Amino acid sequence: MAKESTTIDIGETSTVTKSTSHALVDEKKKGFVTAAPGGGYKRGLTIFDFLLRLAAIGITIGASSVMFTAEETLPFFTQFLQFQAGYDDFPTFQFFVIAIAIVASYLVLSLPFSIVTIVRPLAVAPRLILLISDTVVLTLTTAAAAAAASIVYLAHNGNANTNWLPICQQFGDFCQTASTAVVAASISVVFFILLIVISAIALKRH
Amino acid sequence: MKNESTVIDVPAESSSAMKGSAPLIGVARDHTTNGSGGYKRGLSIFDFLLRLAAIIAASVAAGTMFTSDETLPFFTQFLQFEAGYDDLPTFQFFVIAMSMISGYLLLSLPFSVVTIVRPLATAPRLLLLVLDTAAMAFNMAAASSAAAIGYLAHNGNQNTNWLPICQQFGDFCQKTSGAVVSSFVSVVFFIILVVLSGVALKRH
Repeated sequence: MAKESTTIDIGETSTVTKSTSHALVDEKKKGFVTAAPGGGYKRGLTIFDFLLRLAAIGITIGASSVMFTAEETLPFFTQFLQFQAGYDDFPTFQFFVIAIAIVASYLVLSLPFSIVTIVRPLAVAPRLILLISDTVVLTLTTAAAAAAASIVYLAHNGNANTNWLPICQQFGDFCQTASTAVVAASISVVFFILLIVISAIALKRH
Repeated sequence: MKNESTVIDVPAESSSAMKGSAPLIGVARDHTTNGSGGYKRGLSIFDFLLRLAAIIAASVAAGTMFTSDETLPFFTQFLQFEAGYDDLPTFQFFVIAMSMISGYLLLSLPFSVVTIVRPLATAPRLLLLVLDTAAMAFNMAAASSAAAIGYLAHNGNQNTNWLPICQQFGDFCQKTSGAVVSSFVSVVFFIILVVLSGVALKRH
């Protein structure tokens, strides 16, 4: 085996280069443990993402169950209106309960993906999956919340032009409970927007 | 200036092998960076075209709802014989929201052009993604609340004694339903735009 040999001249700054390279080696060693400084900030974002998901699960389950149990029976008989009101009297509220329940179960199923992004902060595929499915679910949540909000608005104010009477004047408790559910769903919409923005920032190239 | 010197033994065979493979590595790296820029540029062009389509969908929705007036030729005992978008606050919200969405989309076109010209820049894409998400939620809110009122106008509600007005105002109902459908189409475009921006932001 023929061997070639070469001579490399190292200049005066050898001590300086030695110390910086030593620091670089140390950083590299650290990097293996924490997956580089970029990974640290992404891990923080992902933990915030996980906590937001937990909060959104709580709020969506709350919204769905509050609307589900929004019944009221009046003690007296009124001539023109039914004396019982429940969420199943309005197809929009039925859609609301079902849609928000679907959103809550999606959030529970997405928790493992969120944990994966915490453990592997530089992995792209789980984050992209979360971003796409969060966008779709945001659409569903907004649809349910907005449709229910328009019916609640109508129930509170009525409409003189179409002769739709405001039923909240008779069914005060029912209206209050339904309004609370709609507000909770709107808060979950804000959470979803935050989740999508977090995923996008974490996906960003450095 | 003190000079230190050291001797490094380089085996002959591996040196020729390394010399042979080094240029290939260099070429491969260049190819990858150009490739990712090219594929992202393609995504940006598709993004720009989708924005143009969404502008059309959103402005059609706003315009159709705005001009959905109908006056009945006869007088009915219980209902007004004129119907327009401004009789229902939800439809007013719809018109205003869709106009704002169209305006936002027009203003976002320059940012989209910037992402075409500089496909590897992340700041414009991230800004577009965040604003598109908010605009999509706003669009969906307008579309679904108008859809709920449209459903009520078509079917009424027996439990609350809300009569279906579409039986008298057929044209008005048709136009408002068309506007709501166009608005949902714009929402689908927004979803694709958000996903596109997310994929294009991806690191390689």
